[in-house]
Amino acid sequence: MGDFFSNLSLGFGVALTPLNLGLAFLGCLVGTLIGVLPGVGPIATIAMLLPITFGLDPTGALIMLAGIYYGAQYGGSTTAILVNIPGEATSVVTALDGHQMARQGRAGVALGIAAIGSFFAGTVATLVIAALGVPLTGLALIFGPTEYFSLMVMGLVFAVVLARGSILKAIAMILVGILLSTVGTDLETGEERMTFGLPILSDGIDFAVLAMGIFGIAEIMRNLDHTEHRDVVRQAIGRLLPNKEDFRQSYKPVLRGTFIGAILGILPGNGAVLGPFAAYTLEKKLAKDPSRFGRGAIEGVAGPESANNAGAQTSFIPLLTLGIPPNAVMALMVGAMTIHGIIPGPQVMTKNPTLFWGMIASMWVGNLMLLVINLPLVGMWVRLLKVPYRLLFPAILMFCCIGIYSINSLPTDVMFIGLFGFVGYMLIKFGFEPAPMLLGFVLGKLMEENLRRALIISRGSLETFIERPISAGLLAVAAILLVIALLPSIRKGRDEVFTE
Amino acid sequence: MSLSHEGSGLPGPRGPIRAPQSLAGGILLIALAALALWLTRDLDQGTLNAMGPAMLPRWLAMAVGLSGLALLAFAFIKQGDVLERWSLRGPVFVIGAILAFAVTIRPFSFGPLAMPGLGMVAAGPLAIIIGGFATPEARLRDLVILALSLTPFCMVLFGDLLNLPIPIFPQALTGLFPADWSQKAVLRATAAIMAVAAAILFFATRSRRTNRIDVADHSGRI
Repeated sequence: MGDFFSNLSLGFGVALTPLNLGLAFLGCLVGTLIGVLPGVGPIATIAMLLPITFGLDPTGALIMLAGIYYGAQYGGSTTAILVNIPGEATSVVTALDGHQMARQGRAGVALGIAAIGSFFAGTVATLVIAALGVPLTGLALIFGPTEYFSLMVMGLVFAVVLARGSILKAIAMILVGILLSTVGTDLETGEERMTFGLPILSDGIDFAVLAMGIFGIAEIMRNLDHTEHRDVVRQAIGRLLPNKEDFRQSYKPVLRGTFIGAILGILPGNGAVLGPFAAYTLEKKLAKDPSRFGRGAIEGVAGPESANNAGAQTSFIPLLTLGIPPNAVMALMVGAMTIHGIIPGPQVMTKNPTLFWGMIASMWVGNLMLLVINLPLVGMWVRLLKVPYRLLFPAILMFCCIGIYSINSLPTDVMFIGLFGFVGYMLIKFGFEPAPMLLGFVLGKLMEENLRRALIISRGSLETFIERPISAGLLAVAAILLVIALLPSIRKGRDEVFTE
Repeated sequence: MSLSHEGSGLPGPRGPIRAPQSLAGGILLIALAALALWLTRDLDQGTLNAMGPAMLPRWLAMAVGLSGLALLAFAFIKQGDVLERWSLRGPVFVIGAILAFAVTIRPFSFGPLAMPGLGMVAAGPLAIIIGGFATPEARLRDLVILALSLTPFCMVLFGDLLNLPIPIFPQALTGLFPADWSQKAVLRATAAIMAVAAAILFFATRSRRTNRIDVADHSGRI
């Protein structure tokens, strides 16, 4: 317990310096600014804004990046409430009741409760990370390559189960993702694989380029296909602070949402995405009058938003303790950390405690910033949302080009975002969801490395994966999950959750 | 999302193919798997004890191919979604804009084709204006104003404030300014000129076009 407080106070000592406070503020501000644009999710936002952190020292850069991440998350919710265009999967649920509240002239209250719920969830999640960080890092040390491999398999199975639509398509996407990660020079033999003899591919495909293509450019192409009807709320935003009655209705959903989100966020394989759905379903089940949901029930905003933010934050846990990014956003964080010379994993905490605890403390600071920045700036976001898409997307396009060019100063990277954008567009048209592919790509390299090591240790025997108890347990969980997801009755329920 | 719902409500396409979307997806996956298998044909697979470079890609490619086959089979068995409407205009202009940015941002040569590096001062507006035409609603005047105002903003932000190593303008441009001006001064002056041009264009064309815009809006495009 003493450690817990001394670690946190070390962290706050770092995060509360005027410079770092300023960086957190700036990060939250630009993150929200870009994240609020319709059709730009957190992944595209972070990829676009990555270059602006290059000039900073690692701690400052990570603090700013964390700010950008929260800003982008919150910006997505703002768009969902005001325009009914959810920027990403996790704010789909917020759009259901949030937008209805906005139409009833209660946009301000919806935004307010979202911000307050998120802040509370963020505070709890920060404490969870601080408390679990040390023991989980200890766990990482008893993990060998066999266990790591099985853990990642389990993560990918999670991602399949959580993906929308056909399970077969989700599996195919994960496999394609891992296949893409094997492009480039083989680390052990030094032979080039599937590079078409192109020198730019010998280092493999850059994650930021793939993510920007699939989530930035493909999204623009997809939006262009649908004639736009954006109904930005015309009603007044109304007062921002929820009143006593609102608080009474929403404090329990906030507590439950935080709990659900924080637990699901820790799971590898993008468990965080499930949080808002689970919270919404739970609130609807518990409500005295479920028919209010979908018509502007404040619980339908408070619960999912808290779950969303708690999950967004606890998903840092697998990354910081085990070095495994649980979703695409965290994978971008890996990229950003590597650029600054930090390799995420258990050693960060021991080797670089000021950075580790500073970043954790700055998460809380970032959440506070969001509360402070966003509520007064709502008017500005509304105005930004009224810019027509025909002017918005060329600007997004140029920002994408500049952002990706400045990461490596390679014009070929820029061309590749065009290529991957088109591939992503085709995948969307054929009914594939690109998110599992990105996760497969992220984990692919790590998986191959650990698979090889595990097999060298076991002298080529695949049985090692079921002989070692932890690994066997993880694989069993994965198998059970997959079977459950394939059962017809559960599948129906799963489809219902996603279509709701 | 709403499109697919409408699709499943319809009686579905006639003929043996009951899910065109799965069919196309299956073919795509099989093609991808074949490409990967062909590319790794010369590489050594190794043994489980000492895996060669080709082992994982080959297994994965086969698994991808199998998923493709399964999708293909389902396309004939299970009723599924139809293919959504395609339009080429969006992808063509968006990719065109990206390519234009990539070849002009810095000196670029591809075979016999060589482009001088023009920097952000040219690449930015090119990307905005070409990309802008991806939608049929594009209006050249608005795009030019957007390009002339956003580019200087980015020039100052990325080149001046953040000091990123991104080319801003061609070296030839410095010749137009007094010789003792620094790079930064030229950058700021260029940005200022562009911003002023955007403002002039905005105000000069606004008054003349007010009526016509009104008419266009009333004709009910929204």
